[in-house]
Amino acid sequence: MSDARSGLRPAIDRLADRALEATMVERIAIALVSTLLALCIGLVIVAAAGYDPVRFANQLLVGSFGGERAISRTLRYSTLFVLTGVAVAVAFRAGVFNIGVQGQFVVGGFATVVSIVGLAPYLPAGTAAGWLLIVVGTLAGVVAGGLYAALPGALKAYRGANEIITTIMLNFIATGFVGWLVAGRFSDPEVTAMRTRRLPDNVELPSVIFSDPNLSIVGLVATLAVVAAVALLMSRTSFGYDMVTSGHQGAAATYSGVDAKRMIVSTMTVSGMVAGLAGAVFAIMIQGYYTDPTGVGNYGFDAIAVSLLAANNPLGVVPAGLLFGGLESGGSNIQINSDVPVQLIDGVVGLVVLFVAAPELFRMAAARTGLGGDRR
Amino acid sequence: MGERDTAAVRLEGITKRFGDVVANDDVDFRLEAGSIHALLGENGSGKTTLMSVLYGLYDEDDGEIYVDGERRTFDSPRAAMDAGVGMIHQHFQLVEPMTVLQNVILGHEPTEGGLVDDESARRKIREICGRYGFELPLDTPIEDLDLGAQQRVEIVKSLYRGAEILILDEPTAVLTPQEVDALIDVMRDLRADGRSLIFITHKLDEALDVADRITVLRDGEAIGTVPAAGTTEGELARMMVGRDVLFDRLDRETSPGETVLGVEDLSVRGDRGREQVAGVDLTVRESEILGIAGVQGNGQRELAEAIVGLRSVESGTIGLDGEEITGESRRQRIERGIAYIPENRQTEGLVQDYDLVRNALLGNQTVEPYASRGVIDWRAVEGHAESVVEEFDVQPAATDAEAASLSGGNQQKFIVGREIGHDPELMVASHPTRGVDIGSIEFIHNRLIELRDAGLAVLVVSSKLEEIRKLADRIAVMYEGEFIGVVDPDEVTDEDLGLLMAGRTLEGADDRPHESELEDEGGVVE
Repeated sequence: MSDARSGLRPAIDRLADRALEATMVERIAIALVSTLLALCIGLVIVAAAGYDPVRFANQLLVGSFGGERAISRTLRYSTLFVLTGVAVAVAFRAGVFNIGVQGQFVVGGFATVVSIVGLAPYLPAGTAAGWLLIVVGTLAGVVAGGLYAALPGALKAYRGANEIITTIMLNFIATGFVGWLVAGRFSDPEVTAMRTRRLPDNVELPSVIFSDPNLSIVGLVATLAVVAAVALLMSRTSFGYDMVTSGHQGAAATYSGVDAKRMIVSTMTVSGMVAGLAGAVFAIMIQGYYTDPTGVGNYGFDAIAVSLLAANNPLGVVPAGLLFGGLESGGSNIQINSDVPVQLIDGVVGLVVLFVAAPELFRMAAARTGLGGDRR
Repeated sequence: MGERDTAAVRLEGITKRFGDVVANDDVDFRLEAGSIHALLGENGSGKTTLMSVLYGLYDEDDGEIYVDGERRTFDSPRAAMDAGVGMIHQHFQLVEPMTVLQNVILGHEPTEGGLVDDESARRKIREICGRYGFELPLDTPIEDLDLGAQQRVEIVKSLYRGAEILILDEPTAVLTPQEVDALIDVMRDLRADGRSLIFITHKLDEALDVADRITVLRDGEAIGTVPAAGTTEGELARMMVGRDVLFDRLDRETSPGETVLGVEDLSVRGDRGREQVAGVDLTVRESEILGIAGVQGNGQRELAEAIVGLRSVESGTIGLDGEEITGESRRQRIERGIAYIPENRQTEGLVQDYDLVRNALLGNQTVEPYASRGVIDWRAVEGHAESVVEEFDVQPAATDAEAASLSGGNQQKFIVGREIGHDPELMVASHPTRGVDIGSIEFIHNRLIELRDAGLAVLVVSSKLEEIRKLADRIAVMYEGEFIGVVDPDEVTDEDLGLLMAGRTLEGADDRPHESELEDEGGVVE
């Protein structure tokens, strides 16, 4: 037994050292190779299940990056993955586990639609009013998301309620409550489907570069701006330093003058605001109305994987979000154009995520547990 | 080695490098069975590294390890433990929310039918405790114990795992004088039981007091091994630092000015809701160092934390420059110029996985020129880090080093430098030289005295008598949350200070010039 140990442990240590030393380029290369490896294994499974692996691979690639439509769709999904991923990353970096991004995303998006639909009759038609509605609606989404996250933050800070549990429960409440409102008080009387009234026609982001009506350069730029703003907030501001230090070492943060309780609430609020923004983008740019929240996708949950893959670094969330967006887009293409069951598609996609995440998770674990050789 | 070797541990030519740094350079070491062997050296001289090699934490780059005469290579502490080698680290390896019992048996749980057999563990631990006179509450979480008790848990843990050879890494650094005496008794009992001990320290008197033999390390090399009976403090100090060290007291010639810190009738509760500070009055004036002496756990920590704004006050007031600040936040007090060298540099004073630049900002987040209107000026912070590293001789002199990579003494020098750099009005220093080597102690003391001479008010909390006597212009002795006496460091004797720290007033003793100051039991310091 001791022989096996002496053989295994140094090998793991060497691997950990190597992983910790890896440069950004190496890490991206590792992620690409992992993707390929996972696809190879996934295709073997696809073949074993009796489907054509070449066609599967082709549709996955074409569906994610082949042509303008595919790229638009990938970017559309990626926008949501990046924004929700940033929302998760902000909280995780500060040591607060916001699992409620999905709920904040739903509440934010719904608030956006309700505020625009409610305000529109009082404004003239036309582009200027449209922009005003977009701004007001977005702000409403941001504020609603922030407040909905501040609630579990305050419960944790001042009542000691575990935020993982409260945010998960608040996800159910958001879905149920918004669903009830969409079906009742805010339902569109002119359609049978369960949804709110449509946003007015002047509430539409301009289509430049991309002809896809559900993707606007404005949404992309806003997303990247939020990523940059959050990255700057964390690295360049006193507030960001307070936040990140709280996540690293709470006692040291307190020593340096951070009010730990207030910081928990602030962190959750910022995180929820970004999630609410994602909801607003979803409502305005993609859907144009609000629907039963059980059908709006699981961006807020997938965002946890996106953030972990990015090592909770807001800049890293961009490539991680693109990967998720591409897989989602390719997966939906296969679903539409072949008879491969959705479970198998999701399985292969999950395999890719697992393979890409594993080296990064190993890296994080090694850094945290002090695996690896004798670093002082 | 065919012959039976009487050495419990023999290290031959151990070399250990970290990158370009040679931490141990061809070190030979021999621990006789049934003896106490002190490993003496300044911080960063390679003592802990050498023992970590023996304990299987580090792989040696060169050299051989023999335990009980047998050649061994330990690739993990577990392997070392199986061979009867136990190590008690300077920073305890205990799981804080878990109980004493759970910590002791962690990883070595006796089981019965697949379930942990608490009862047999309890019996075995009781037996160990009984043998060495420990009184440990087995079902109390570690976080509720003081450091002395936590250390006893560590010792019991090693013994429970069958350690015959015990390595104690700076075991006295965190203890009060009384606890140190108790520990030394335990070490002697362990030796009488036939166990062999290696005692890592940088304190000359302790090494001389407890060890049979002393090996001095300097810059990673073994300078020599001497029998404790045949050497002196002076000789050891020379071996340690390579030059003569002066142990003298400093002149006091400044006269205090205006009151800077005024505390009135202050009561503060501790972590467990008990009243730890019970109606204390004190003042610290410009150009004055007030020393607070006392056995650890008598409310000094809570008092210091209340003053710097880390702990809320039960009743009473705190004033700075005549303004009441009792209700102000920690951050407001930092901005007012209260600097604080915390008791626990590992968890409070530094963020371990930040580099020194980012650590230089800790506490300065809202202070010009490092930040203005919420935006950090990293260039200014970097300049600050560089000047602290340079002026306070922090080794390694690299601001991109992580705080965790620095030795305790260098971490402390960095904190002291950073806090002085805040340009404070009041300096609160809790155990400013705990676990710090001789050279750095002298350095830190001199900087605190310079602050005093520059007109600052300085409050020093320490359980080291010589430190308090050297630095303080007045000494207040704290006992069970109250000031039991205020004495003049030039007139009080060590014996009297010890008595006060143990809670005995000096009334009834022969007339001493300072006795009249002690009559007020409430402990007014004016």
